[in-house]
Amino acid sequence: MAAGLNDSAAAPVTFTGPRDEFFGRLFGGYLLMLPTLGVYRFWVTTFKRRFYWSHTVIDGDPLEYTGTARQLLVGFLLAIAFFLPAYIALFVLSLFAGVIGAIGYVVVLGCLWFFVGYAQYRGRDFRLSRTLWRGIRFDQKGSAVAYATRRFLWSLLVVVTLGLAYPFMSASLWRYRYANTWFGDRQVSFEGTWRTIAGPFYRAYAVVAVSVGLVVGLGVTGNLRVFALAPVAVIVLGGLALVYWRSREATRMFSAIRLGPARVETTIKARSLFGQHLAFGLVWLLLVIVAWFAGSAILAVAGGAEGTLAGIRSISTNGWASAALVVGGYVLTVGAFSLLSETILDFGWWKLVAGGSWIVNVESLGDVRAIDEDRSTLGEGFADALNVGAF
Amino acid sequence: MNPLARYHDGRVSAARDVTFAITRDTATPAIIIADGQTHDVIDRWPIDDVFEVHGLANRLRLGARGRPDGARLSLTGAPLVEATRKLLPALKNQQANERREQRRLIGIASGALFSLVAAYVFGIPLLARALVPSIPPEWESQLGEATLAQIDQIIGYQGQVTFCDEDPDSLANRAIDRFARTVLADAGSPFTPDVKVVAAYIPNAFALPGGHSYYFSALLEQTETADEFAGVLAHELGHVHHRHGLDGLISTSATGLLVGFVLGDMTGLSVAGGLGAALIDTRFSREAEHEADAFAGAVGARYGFDPAALATLIERVAGDNEAGRFFQVFSTHPLTVERRVALEQLPKPPPGLRAFGDEEWTAIKLMCDRFS
Repeated sequence: MAAGLNDSAAAPVTFTGPRDEFFGRLFGGYLLMLPTLGVYRFWVTTFKRRFYWSHTVIDGDPLEYTGTARQLLVGFLLAIAFFLPAYIALFVLSLFAGVIGAIGYVVVLGCLWFFVGYAQYRGRDFRLSRTLWRGIRFDQKGSAVAYATRRFLWSLLVVVTLGLAYPFMSASLWRYRYANTWFGDRQVSFEGTWRTIAGPFYRAYAVVAVSVGLVVGLGVTGNLRVFALAPVAVIVLGGLALVYWRSREATRMFSAIRLGPARVETTIKARSLFGQHLAFGLVWLLLVIVAWFAGSAILAVAGGAEGTLAGIRSISTNGWASAALVVGGYVLTVGAFSLLSETILDFGWWKLVAGGSWIVNVESLGDVRAIDEDRSTLGEGFADALNVGAF
Repeated sequence: MNPLARYHDGRVSAARDVTFAITRDTATPAIIIADGQTHDVIDRWPIDDVFEVHGLANRLRLGARGRPDGARLSLTGAPLVEATRKLLPALKNQQANERREQRRLIGIASGALFSLVAAYVFGIPLLARALVPSIPPEWESQLGEATLAQIDQIIGYQGQVTFCDEDPDSLANRAIDRFARTVLADAGSPFTPDVKVVAAYIPNAFALPGGHSYYFSALLEQTETADEFAGVLAHELGHVHHRHGLDGLISTSATGLLVGFVLGDMTGLSVAGGLGAALIDTRFSREAEHEADAFAGAVGARYGFDPAALATLIERVAGDNEAGRFFQVFSTHPLTVERRVALEQLPKPPPGLRAFGDEEWTAIKLMCDRFS
């Protein structure tokens, strides 16, 4: 596809961010989260966005992120004030027995599921309204409540249809998001429909459905030796199908974005995406092996001549030491996992999407005019409080 | 020849290559921006209004107050950036101020969170203690009934648990019931105990809010003396008497809230959040264990059993295999060194006094024989 774009009107999007620098600064940021009890995460997020934005160059000019950590912090505090009552409601409901408790739980969880969509939309609004290109601000209009309602109802339908309705939901939500996105005074439009992604989706769906069906079939016929290996095969096949699907969806959906005469052309190769997941898995495996050996060595020393298990035992019978061991191990594991997935998967995804994109008819973007300010701080707070943050 | 830079006016999305010069000799020193080709002056930024925005290492991006928000002058190349910085010394101060401001904000926010954590560590146990007595016992009993159905669903077959001895009037059941009722009544507890000895493969015993307690057949199999049995039972009744179930519920909720603050996930729906809350909660369960042990000690002194037998039994169960010892770290009933010492220091029963008679204990010991 890129071969046809080699005329002067198509401009490449390039991503110039070095991964080692990203990892180094992120690592430092994670360390600072410890003494600040997590407060520093707002600064880490701001660093990440500045890094991604300023290294993403479109037709010679980088994006600029103008948001600050203070805005994220304030937004989070406001969101807490909102979520506290919901939290207390959940607690009180947990005291109730039977039908009232069950209904209450379903209602509260439903509300939270609704608010995930709301938070995603507000978070997107926050980021877009703090994104500049060539001195012009992006913006997200439309209503977060309308978006959350769509998402909520569509997701119910997807569940009822065992996932078959997903392409319709995906197209509807992408359209709502992008058709309400603005660059200065120019409105983005979205040309994708469910047909845009139906092929790849149903192919991936069929692979998963058939492999699960085969496993169930094998289980029923009692062919147990094959049956034992089947879950592994399903996981591998399902993972491949998911990677294939994700690369196709992004390729086709991003390529359906229009900005007047200008449009986006994105190509993401499934094998590149698969390579990233493989790399992530291998590095994680390596880390687990290293941690195991390091841990055994430390415990062998702590336990003296009695060996490793005695070492574990001596620590486990000491109240404070075991608590520290468990909490420390927990923080270390969660931190390492998150750091790795940010450096390999998130970084890799941004690189694939940005590096695989072109803007066709970019010269038509030369006369877009800036519009008035519209800045809310609350939106991103909701995203943080519901843990739906993206980049 | 003035140096080249990239300029956006912040009104229209056109990018212009410009030249710029910094003049210091006029009344208001300024950056003069001129078109790269025609050299016509486009704008004049008084240098007092100029500020730096974030950019890459070898770039300098400048904006100016009083101009549109998106107006930018962008310079590339280390020598040019360095030379320009030298001419605009105020930028350095701005950066230093900005950093100081950020550090102050981080300090205040972390300090606030630290005091919150301190309030939590010292305050929540007190708060839970203060709240629990004001929650009516009937409510707690209802909570127990709700949990009971769930427990039966988990350990039973189709929601129905198998009692070791179904006859409530058997010697064993009467002895257990008498013991439990007397213990709770003497302690002035509003709850009526209901001890169920049921068939289950896991060696465990536990109490629900409101008085329902379970003793599993696998534990009874490993229980060798009447003192051990009475010790476990009294310990569980201690949980009921001190209303630890409700206490724990309040504490767990508060922990979830705190972990939400730190991890940023207020719903606690994420695995990381839930796990973190569960881990921190072991602190409260340790305190509760200590209280229940003390209760068992007091009961033992009155009815005649040695509470240290409890430690012997826990050690026997956990010592079954090395893996069992390892998982003590994650257990809610860990036998730590401190706990063992505390149990051994509890008063020994007066000689001659027995919690269960020989015949009664033999009957109890044989209750679950048909399942082993």
